Amino acid sequence: MLALLLALALGIALGLLTNISIPAALLTYLGVAVLAAIDACLGGVKAALEQTFDDKAFVSGFITNTLMAAFIVFVGDRIGVRELYLAAVVAFGVRVFDNLGTVRSLLFHRWGWE
Amino acid sequence: MGVVGELNPRRKLVHLRDESWRRIVESEKAVERSFQEGRLFVSLAAGMLLVGFLLVGQWRGYASLSSDLSRQSDQSLGIIIEEITAENSELRNEVLRLELRMLEAEREGIDRSEVLNEAAKELSGLRVMAGLSAASGPGVTIVIEDQEKVLLAQDFVALVHDLRAGGAEAISVDGKRVIGISGFAGEGGDLEMDGAALAHSHHVVALGSPSDLEQAVELPGGFVSTLSTFPGVTIEVSQEESLMVPAADTIQFIYGEPTTQ
Repeated sequence: MLALLLALALGIALGLLTNISIPAALLTYLGVAVLAAIDACLGGVKAALEQTFDDKAFVSGFITNTLMAAFIVFVGDRIGVRELYLAAVVAFGVRVFDNLGTVRSLLFHRWGWE
Repeated sequence: MGVVGELNPRRKLVHLRDESWRRIVESEKAVERSFQEGRLFVSLAAGMLLVGFLLVGQWRGYASLSSDLSRQSDQSLGIIIEEITAENSELRNEVLRLELRMLEAEREGIDRSEVLNEAAKELSGLRVMAGLSAASGPGVTIVIEDQEKVLLAQDFVALVHDLRAGGAEAISVDGKRVIGISGFAGEGGDLEMDGAALAHSHHVVALGSPSDLEQAVELPGGFVSTLSTFPGVTIEVSQEESLMVPAADTIQFIYGEPTTQ
């Protein structure tokens, strides 16, 4: 668990060091994609804690979800339904909180806090 | 006994074989599990790393976006314009207020310096009138020779009076300034002015319009025409462009003192 947080911190440090800045045109797409990536990671952690983790499912889920999220926003932009990104945001937001709750209870169970 | 003795080692061997199979399978499972755990960790860590990296990129991108006016929404642009307009009008007011204050200060300064200049001019005029400072300018010199010592004190009083009537601003007699409290005394040739004896040859200097002054003393029936008929008296009046009248000695009031009324 700690190692995963370290990996997150490493990613942030890497981003800070490489001075990365997303172009304005891609911001909306990538914003939803990042949300999808967070959801996928939390789902992976949850599966690992439930001992049902499958790396193929995780990697494919990660890639598909992020790409699909960005694609939905893109399609929304093209067909004049710019608010379509809201659907992705709501869907992934709900899933993120759902996964977060499950991970929290699983961790508590593992650490014997409940 | 023999069969049992044979069976026992066989069972042992079977047991050992099963046991070693079981261990092999277990260790294979453990290897598989650790392999899986390794893959779990690597994929999750890679995902987290990517998330962190993208988060920073997104954060930075959005930060630079929110400072870019062309990307602002109409509503926030409206708010920004409103804020700037309010600030602008406030600054304009401040500028106007400061300009007004500057103008006031300038006017005050001009007023003050004008008053000061006037006062200084007046003071220097008063000093000249009072004889406190030496004065220079155009005027006339009157040289009076009195060989027979016939001139009287009142003749000089009359001369000073005539000169003042002619607009004399400063008068000196024999190098002594005639001021408001000056007086002539004596008779029979022993004349004195302000307590100092005058010689027989007098040198009077008066500042003012040279022609007016000359006219004032040379009027028919005036000073020159009257006194030049006296024996031994010659009077010579000449106009000069640049004359000098000395300052009077310091005046000391013994009885009088200035009051504000």
